[in-house]
Amino acid sequence: MDQSEKYRTLMRCPVCFSRDTDVLMVPEAGGHHYCPKCSFNGEESEVRGMYRDIQKKFHWMTKRFTLEEQRKL
Amino acid sequence: MHLNVLHRTPSDAVYSIFKRQQDLAHSFNLKTTVFVSYSDLFNEEVVKDAFQYEREFGDEIGLSIHALNGPGVSKIARTQNCIWLLNASAKREVLDIILRKFREICGRPPVSVGSYHFDSSALRILKELEPGVETVIGGCFEEGVRVFHGCNHSWYLFNEGMPWNPWYPSQSHSLRPAADEKDSSGIVAVPHLMRDMTLSYEGRNDFWASHPPNVIRGMGNDASFCPYDLNLVDQFRMQEEWNDGYSYYNTFVSASWLTWNHNSEYPPEVAWELYTKQLRYLGELKKSGEVHDSTLAEYGRWHRAYRPVGQPEVYWAKEMLYGSHKHYFWFIDPSRRILIDATQGGAVGDLRPYAGRVPVATGPDTANREIASYPFLIQSQHRSGNAHHCQDGARTTLLLSNGKAELDSSFLRSKIAAVTNTAGEASVTLTPAKFQFANGLKGELTTRHIFLPQGQIKTERTISNLSDPQAELTLTEYFKGAPGRTEYPEDMHGIRLGIDGNPKRQMEFDYSGEAFESVAATMVYAEVPQTRTRIELATVAGEAKSGAVKAGHLFSPYFTLFLTQSLKGNGKIITWTNLKNIEP
Repeated sequence: MDQSEKYRTLMRCPVCFSRDTDVLMVPEAGGHHYCPKCSFNGEESEVRGMYRDIQKKFHWMTKRFTLEEQRKL
Repeated sequence: MHLNVLHRTPSDAVYSIFKRQQDLAHSFNLKTTVFVSYSDLFNEEVVKDAFQYEREFGDEIGLSIHALNGPGVSKIARTQNCIWLLNASAKREVLDIILRKFREICGRPPVSVGSYHFDSSALRILKELEPGVETVIGGCFEEGVRVFHGCNHSWYLFNEGMPWNPWYPSQSHSLRPAADEKDSSGIVAVPHLMRDMTLSYEGRNDFWASHPPNVIRGMGNDASFCPYDLNLVDQFRMQEEWNDGYSYYNTFVSASWLTWNHNSEYPPEVAWELYTKQLRYLGELKKSGEVHDSTLAEYGRWHRAYRPVGQPEVYWAKEMLYGSHKHYFWFIDPSRRILIDATQGGAVGDLRPYAGRVPVATGPDTANREIASYPFLIQSQHRSGNAHHCQDGARTTLLLSNGKAELDSSFLRSKIAAVTNTAGEASVTLTPAKFQFANGLKGELTTRHIFLPQGQIKTERTISNLSDPQAELTLTEYFKGAPGRTEYPEDMHGIRLGIDGNPKRQMEFDYSGEAFESVAATMVYAEVPQTRTRIELATVAGEAKSGAVKAGHLFSPYFTLFLTQSLKGNGKIITWTNLKNIEP
C-alpha cells in the first residue's frame, strides 16, 4: 500500500490549527478523533465545520485580483 | 517576470506523480529543473527519465542536497537530512560523496544545487569541491519561529532576515546579500518558493507561498477554488514597476504534496487541480510574453549578467486574503533589510542591519547551532511592537504632543501612496493620516522614508491642515530595539547608548531601566555589538530640541532612543536614521 494512504483518515486538530499549529488527531472507532496535544475531541463532521469557521477570517478567500486590480488595491 | 518551475524526484512518494508533474509542466510549454537526490542517482529509471527530459524539453538536471541517505552518506548523516545542520567536516564528506556520484552518473558537475538552505560553511565547501556550481536554492524567506511553532516545534529551519528575491550570498552569512564582488560567495541563490510578503511576516511563511498545496495547508482554498494562488503570481509581477522591470517567481511542489498527506484534509485531486491551475496560468503568461521561463542554471546566468551585486530592491505588499487593506513596504540593499508598516503610521516592523556583516555558520560545531537567521534590531511580531498588553516592544514611531496632549503615530492607520526606486535611492510615501488630540487640535501627518546608500534613511514627517495654524507641536522620533534572532530575549550586555547634546552623555546598557536626557541634541545612538552595528537618529543643529536614551530592564529588555524637534504650525521635520558598521 502506498505510504500516503495512512493520511486518508487523519485530520488536524481544529483548536490547535486555529492557533496556527498543525497537530494530527488520533482517529478512534466510530469516526471519533481526539487531539494528543490539547483536550479537543469530536466527530469528523464537527471538525470540518470548525475548519469552515476558521476560514471565515479570510474575507477575500474567493476573490481574484488581477494585476490591474492589485495596482488599485 | 522570470520563472523557474522546480521539481524533485520523490524519495517518499510514488514516482508516477513526479512524472505527471513533468508532463503537466511540459503540456503548458514550461521548462523545469529536475532535482535528483543522491539515492536516486542509483536508480536507473530516474536517471534515464531525467536525461530524456533534458533532451526532449531542455530541462535541467540539478542536484538535490536533501534526503541525505544512500551508500556512504547515511552513516555520516545519521538521519540528519539538513546539510546546514551537520558539522563542517561532515558537510565536506557528504558533499564530496554526492558530488562524485553526480559526476559519475551525469558525466559533468551539477550547475544548480538545491536545499532548503545552505549556510555559509556549506556554501563555501560546495564551491570549493565543485567550482562549476553556479546557482543554489539557498533559503526559505522568513521561515523560522512561526513555522517552528506551527510544525509542533519540530521543524528546525531558521531562515528569517533573508532576501525575498534571488541574491548573491555573502561569504560570511549566506542569507545576507553581498555588498560587492569581493564579499560575494560567487554563487547566485534563489529562495525556496516565493512567499506572501504580508502574511509571511504576520504568520507562517509555509502557508502563503507559490505552492498551491501550501495554501491548502493554510486553509486558504475553498476546495479546488483558490484565486489566491494566481493573486500571488500577479503581486510579484506588479513589482516590476519599481524594480527596473524586474520580477522573479518560482514554484517547487514535491510529489508528496500531491497525494494524501498530513497537511491537507482534502483528497489529492484538489491539490492536483490547484497545481494545474497555477501552471496553466504561468503557461498562459508565457504565451502572452509576460513570463520568461528558464532552467535554474539559465536563470542564474541571466542574473549574473544583468543584476549587479548590491542593487537595492523594493516590494510593495498588499494584503489580499483577509481583506484588511493593509500595505507593507520592503526595502533591501547590502546595508539592511527593512519593513515599513503603513498601517502603523510608517513604523519599522522589521530591521536587519546587514551593515554589521555578522558572520554565521550553522552546525553542532558552531555557537549558532541551528539558528541561521540574520539577527534583527527590530522585529515587532516576535518582540511585541506597539503596546497592547503590557509595555511596548521593538518598533519605531513618531510621538506627537501639543501641550499635555499626546499621540502615537503607530495608531494612525495609513496606506502606501507612492513608491520610487531609481539610481540607488528608494522611497515610500504614505497617505496622509488624520489625527486629533484630546484637546481638539486636528491635522494630518504624511510620512516619507527615503532609503539612501550606506545605511542612511531620511524620514520626513509633514504636518498639514492643522485646525490651529499657530499650534505648537513637539515631534519625537522613537526607536525601540533589541538585538535578537528568535522571539526570546538575548543578552544585551555590552550595548552602549549615547547622546550628542548638552551635555554629551554615554551609558552602558545594564538592565537598570535608567534614562538620560540632554537638550539641543543632534544625535542619539546605540552601539550594539551583537549586530556589530551602531544605530543613530540624527538631525541638524538648528532643528534639535532634545534627545534621550533609555536602558530597559529584564521585564522590558529593549534600548530606546528619542530625538525631539518642535514645529510651529504646519511644516516638516527631517530625521536621519543611520546604520554603521562597528565590527570589532
